[in-house]
Amino acid sequence: MSIQEQYRKRAAELLASGEVKIIIGYGAGSTPDRRRALFIRSAEDAGLLQVDQACDANLSGYLVSEGLLSDRKKVGIFLRPEGIRSVNILAAESQLDPLQIVILGFSDENGSLTPLQGSSVSDFSALISTLKERRSTPEEQELVEKIEGMTPEERFAFWQAEFAKCIKCYACRQVCPMCYCKRCIVDNNQPQWVQTSSHTLGNFEWNLVRAFHLSGRCVECGGCDRACPVNIPLRLINRRMAQEVLEAFDYFSGMSHTQEPVLASFKKDDPETFIL
Amino acid sequence: MTKILLRDRLDDCITRWHAAGFEVIGPVSKNNISQFAAIEKADELDLGAILPGRTLKDLFFPQTEPMFRYRIGKQQIDTEEYLPPERQRIVFGARPCDASAMAIDDPLFGWDYKDSYWFRRRNETVIVTIACTAADEFCMCTSLKLAPDSTLGSDILLRPLEGNRGWLVEELSQRGSEALSRIEALLEKEAAKPLPPADVPVKFDLEACREWLQNPENFESHFWKEISMRCIGCGTCTFLCPTCHCFDFQDEGDTYTGIRRKNWDSCSFALFTMHTSGHNPRSTQSARWRQRIMHKFNYFPGKFSLNSCSGCGRCTRECPVDMGITETLQEITKLSK
Amino acid sequence: MSEPFEPKIVAFVCTYCTYAGADLAGTSRLKYPPNIRMVRLPCTGRISPMFILKALQKGADGVLVSGCHPGDCHFTQGNYHARRRWTVFRALLNFTGIPLERIRFSWISAAEGVKFAELISSLTEDIRKLGPFDQYKAMIHETEAPVSL
Repeated sequence: MSIQEQYRKRAAELLASGEVKIIIGYGAGSTPDRRRALFIRSAEDAGLLQVDQACDANLSGYLVSEGLLSDRKKVGIFLRPEGIRSVNILAAESQLDPLQIVILGFSDENGSLTPLQGSSVSDFSALISTLKERRSTPEEQELVEKIEGMTPEERFAFWQAEFAKCIKCYACRQVCPMCYCKRCIVDNNQPQWVQTSSHTLGNFEWNLVRAFHLSGRCVECGGCDRACPVNIPLRLINRRMAQEVLEAFDYFSGMSHTQEPVLASFKKDDPETFIL
Repeated sequence: MTKILLRDRLDDCITRWHAAGFEVIGPVSKNNISQFAAIEKADELDLGAILPGRTLKDLFFPQTEPMFRYRIGKQQIDTEEYLPPERQRIVFGARPCDASAMAIDDPLFGWDYKDSYWFRRRNETVIVTIACTAADEFCMCTSLKLAPDSTLGSDILLRPLEGNRGWLVEELSQRGSEALSRIEALLEKEAAKPLPPADVPVKFDLEACREWLQNPENFESHFWKEISMRCIGCGTCTFLCPTCHCFDFQDEGDTYTGIRRKNWDSCSFALFTMHTSGHNPRSTQSARWRQRIMHKFNYFPGKFSLNSCSGCGRCTRECPVDMGITETLQEITKLSK
Repeated sequence: MSEPFEPKIVAFVCTYCTYAGADLAGTSRLKYPPNIRMVRLPCTGRISPMFILKALQKGADGVLVSGCHPGDCHFTQGNYHARRRWTVFRALLNFTGIPLERIRFSWISAAEGVKFAELISSLTEDIRKLGPFDQYKAMIHETEAPVSL
């Protein structure tokens, strides 16, 4: 049985038995290579679910959409490993109750999909620990190194050219499961910390603030990068920040639903190499 | 006898237009995005894409625009206006969907208050459109009763000739004639046959949709919640739409001095209709999606007899979650039968 | 001969240590350059990276953030949180090309009036040598310029 058939059957069982009220998965998109988020409430619709390599979006952001979990019923959701990390982080930050989430997990290893054993977040701790050791893709690492090899002026010029394209559509923020603030800092004008206009300064400040707020929280699902309509390489910044918290504090986000956020905790012997 | 413009004459055209005082602008691919920018030479242009990623509206309604600087003094407030610069521009290589979108927005910006920023730029710009001989799966101009060779909003229409050698030239307006007069000597008389326009299948029934949308019983239909469940409320579709025109004012500065700016705003943002009281009449994403569709295909045509959409398809092409106008109107077409 | 460049440096300091240290420098009549504008916060734990961005947005050529030594925080742990924040924010600033010599962090206690005066002097000279933060100022000027297209 293919992974798709296996999971369609499981989804139908979960809905028919009433264990979950809704399943959030992937369905066919407007072209053969696109997939869209699918929300099914009855077992008959399980046949609409797609489970294949094109299913790359991190759907966990939908779990914190307005009112979805407030009736305390369970919700099923298709997640890749980074999505499971997202659920851990959302639980650790008190945004959802992990007991309400039934996970239909799958991972993409070298071009083929495998189902993940387990259905609640705590079943995946071992898997997530192995992810901590993993490096990024060679192309990404190459570009990060290229940027780090530049002088500060060159780097500034590089990011200015990228951020000049930004149109402040906030697709990066909206698609990110970790950006769940009801009122984002950029939407506040008492005081106005970040300029909302999309001149280069406003764009620079926006992207810096978002990268900072995601430090130690981003799971590198790539959603922001794919969503950006003007192709700013956002995942590079988030990748660099994830690397920093790993190197400085040995911190990898999303390992468990009780893990303390990295910037809300500290160790008395945290490194300090630059403080005068 | 028809006139043609050969591609290898384009550099000369640009030189002559520059000499006549025109700035020449066209679609340029740079840094992973294609958008309209000023050019010096023809080889900077990217005319091969289906359409550029960003729209023609950037040239008339920039995403952020300073309007005036204010200084709050003891007795009065001084202001200093920022006006768009005086110049002449030629846009070479617009697509019919982008050009018609500008014509669709003209009545809006000239409705009860004539927007001087918009019209100053409109009046000084000649739009040279290239008809489409290719389309992708997201194009839907024909569903909006437009076409890959529509002339709406254009001053000159160029129809591509075979072998990429050039274009058949069609003068459409006074402004277009004046621009052509500068390069008259570079045009050739030839009874050329242009390539046929792209085949863009009609995807939904626009009239049936309008009727369904006008029916008050459908305003509260559960359809709106179902169709918009995956919408994440970003501004991609609105910002990349050539007809979308909502804006917000922001004062940027200190207590006593600053600049008032006009910035793009989006009806998909959660805070779009947030009142200072805290009440939000469109507090759910489905209400906001409904508003978008109603505005474009019901309210706007009601006022201006034009749909606020030219079928470019960018909304679906760029949507991070694969939404867009097409799917919604296709579903409404089904519901209306 | 043109006038020497006078850098503008904003210092975000905590009340109970660095600000008191600065006070001590004053009462001890220690000389230090006037290029620094101090913003007093109750604790470094209150200092958000937004403050640093705001200082740059308003044209600062350099920023100093300073507080109590680890273990001595008046509020017990504010500076531990601040230290983590600074490590992360610094990596971000560096990655996006903001020269790290312009954004400095220090621990200065209430007794360290001399350290305060010396640090301000050397910091001012360092930033003077670096010159005005032209790349950032170019971005600020763009916000006041008319639309180019």
